[in-house]
Amino acid sequence: MASVSLRHIKKVYENKVEAVHDFCLEIRDKEFVVFVGPSGCGKSTTLRMVAGLEDISGGELYIGDRLVNDVEPKDRDIAMVFQNYALYPHISVYENMAFSLRLRKMPNAEVHRRVCEAAEILGITEYLGRKPKQLSGGQRQRVAIGRAIVREPQVFLMDEPLSNLDAKLRNQMRAEIILLRQKLDTTFIYVTHDQTEAMTLGDRIVIMRDGFIEQVGTPMEVFEMPTNIFVAEFIGAPKMNILKTRLVKENGRYYVTPFGTRIPVDGERAQALEKKGVGTKDILLGVRPEHIVLSAPGEHAIPCTLEVNEMMGSELHLHVKTADETRLIVRVPTINLEGDDRTNMNFGKPLNLTFESKVMHFFDPDSQKNLLV
Amino acid sequence: MRTKASIPEAGMGGQTRTRSKAGHEKRVNGGIYALLVIMSVIWLAPFVFLIFQSFRSYLTETGGMVDYLLPKNGWSLDNYAFLFEGSDFFSWWGSTLLASIVLGALQMGILALIKREVNKRDASEGKTQYLFLALSLLVVFVLSAAACVILHGKPDSLILSALPALVLYMAAGYVAGRFYLKQDSRLLQSIPGYPVETPLDKAKKIGGLGALYAGVIAIVMCIIKPMNASQYLIWYGNTLTIALFVAVIQTVIVLSVSYALSRIRFKGRKLIMNVVLILGMFPGFLTMITLYFLLKQLGLTQEGAVPGLILIYCASSGMGYYISKGFFDTIPKSLDESARIDGATRLQVFYKIIMPLAKPIVIYTILMAFMAPWGDFVFASYVAFGKSNSYNVAVGLYRWVNVNDYQGYFTRFCAGGVLVALPITILFLCLQKYYVEGVTGGAVKG
Repeated sequence: MASVSLRHIKKVYENKVEAVHDFCLEIRDKEFVVFVGPSGCGKSTTLRMVAGLEDISGGELYIGDRLVNDVEPKDRDIAMVFQNYALYPHISVYENMAFSLRLRKMPNAEVHRRVCEAAEILGITEYLGRKPKQLSGGQRQRVAIGRAIVREPQVFLMDEPLSNLDAKLRNQMRAEIILLRQKLDTTFIYVTHDQTEAMTLGDRIVIMRDGFIEQVGTPMEVFEMPTNIFVAEFIGAPKMNILKTRLVKENGRYYVTPFGTRIPVDGERAQALEKKGVGTKDILLGVRPEHIVLSAPGEHAIPCTLEVNEMMGSELHLHVKTADETRLIVRVPTINLEGDDRTNMNFGKPLNLTFESKVMHFFDPDSQKNLLV
Repeated sequence: MRTKASIPEAGMGGQTRTRSKAGHEKRVNGGIYALLVIMSVIWLAPFVFLIFQSFRSYLTETGGMVDYLLPKNGWSLDNYAFLFEGSDFFSWWGSTLLASIVLGALQMGILALIKREVNKRDASEGKTQYLFLALSLLVVFVLSAAACVILHGKPDSLILSALPALVLYMAAGYVAGRFYLKQDSRLLQSIPGYPVETPLDKAKKIGGLGALYAGVIAIVMCIIKPMNASQYLIWYGNTLTIALFVAVIQTVIVLSVSYALSRIRFKGRKLIMNVVLILGMFPGFLTMITLYFLLKQLGLTQEGAVPGLILIYCASSGMGYYISKGFFDTIPKSLDESARIDGATRLQVFYKIIMPLAKPIVIYTILMAFMAPWGDFVFASYVAFGKSNSYNVAVGLYRWVNVNDYQGYFTRFCAGGVLVALPITILFLCLQKYYVEGVTGGAVKG
């Protein structure tokens, strides 16, 4: 068990491409941190630098209190789970899991105890005698995790461990990783490109883009107060609607004016705007699909027509088009639909929408930063 | 496959079509096989002739070339006997084998005793078993050395005659290692579904190892020649020595080079690969004259031809890295990384993870490295020129028919040729499965 401290970590490849710029992060002991971002954002590179598989071009990396920049991977006391499992194909599951222990010259009885214990936790006891190629994807991933936990490492690294599994298995394994984490109670660093995994697993999420950290925070923080448009769009599914509009301050009250309506800004958001001293200006307005509701025609209502209806079971994802050709995504719980809306949600149907004014996000159109941060 | 899959949809019509298609396929296959048979007969004809000639006695018939295939005065082994004339190779080999069997049984007995002892004391993991092991092996080593000397009746060749015993010693060490160090079979048996070795598997394994061991003794004897050797045996020994050394050295070099080029990114990697590619386009014979003078300076011609030839064949062997690099490239890099995180050094990754996975290409490399010097004539003839004890088989046999007496030595030449072909044939029969895998496996991703 150890903390991990990345101080101004940099990665420059031989062809002068800078993959990670000035990465600073303190990971506390027993914390579950998720690196998330689109592909090519440097999240895997950072993880591999922690593992010691990539050289660190600049900065300092501490595991516990030890500077490990130039320490071989085998001496860092870490374990890693790979996306493609990386099981040794020529030896049995048992030997796969025992491999690291045997390299440490651990007595046979101890090896056996640990392997059986890990197999018990992961439910793979009956496959111990098999070769990896005789296992299914989910079982292989379990073996890969088992291989990591027999080591009882200080830090657990996972590089997109669920990406090779089918959707259903992925959900199941995700839940198992949460359970496992409670059992093991050690430091985890988890890399994924899937925001759902990040949100459900992480104590803290690190959102990255092009080698920069965009935001670090708990899942709630990054969801409710994204620092910029990139984070706002990346976290949450379907992604946030961003509209070019104008923020108006009149008589001490704020209004947003999308599509010629006037929607008053209420509650905490208005106070926060007041506190920041924001005046009337052009902004980018961010509204999450679930914060748009179907409504009757009226003053605040935005008329639009339905283009695509995605039925998800518990909810509908409606892709709509407003009068000025702007496209929005609306998420409507099926339980709220009544009568005609329930049965007849087809192409071209006219709808009226209103925004929940308490949970709108305001971004500066030039810097793309959140006005409230 | 596709035609079979379409049967249910196509119904009756589809079935008849498939049948006629199958008939067509059969005819085509038959044609191909007939062609192959004819071609192999043509290719094999000289070899078949050679084999039959080698069984014609040079004493009762003529030793020269004749225009008939089968021996007229009956089949005889006179030619083969001539090859071993004046040597006590077989008595040495037999007695060493016998000694090994007796001592091996003794060794196994001791190991079984130790194993029982270890099993009794459950927690005796640790140093004591190593001590037991070392002691028992030492005892066997001394015993076998002594036995060899007594059997051969040649006390002055103590070290030489103990060498086969050393092989036994290492084999026993390996067996013992499997007993104690690698896995504890009792622990593994408690795992459901763990493959259990049947007595048949064991018997096969022991039989294979026995044959291998008998071969190893013969090889070691050919190389160190503790017995009286005939001229042919000396040549054979020279060839074997050269080929074995080259096989080992070249394999190590080729595999290291290709692994490094496949896995490690260093400055000048691309440059080295390109330069080697271009250099490889010049035939090795271009350097013949220079090589001869260089070797002469070092005293590695004539008497020193054997080490000299080893040097020649091993030089620039790293240049043949292409196929094995291609094979290594197909093994996922994450296996290396995973093993390194698990605590393995680069060397351990190489021999614990990569080597077992690259078995076909390792075998292919060994075979290639072994074959080139085994059948070489050009280099061997001019480096060893004039010193008959340094010849390899190819040069020696050539000189028999060329210099001595073509009419008298032809059948003996044939017998010598058959014996040269034998080890290669056996090697290929045993390893052809891997050989094909190695060639094509590397070719997919070059």
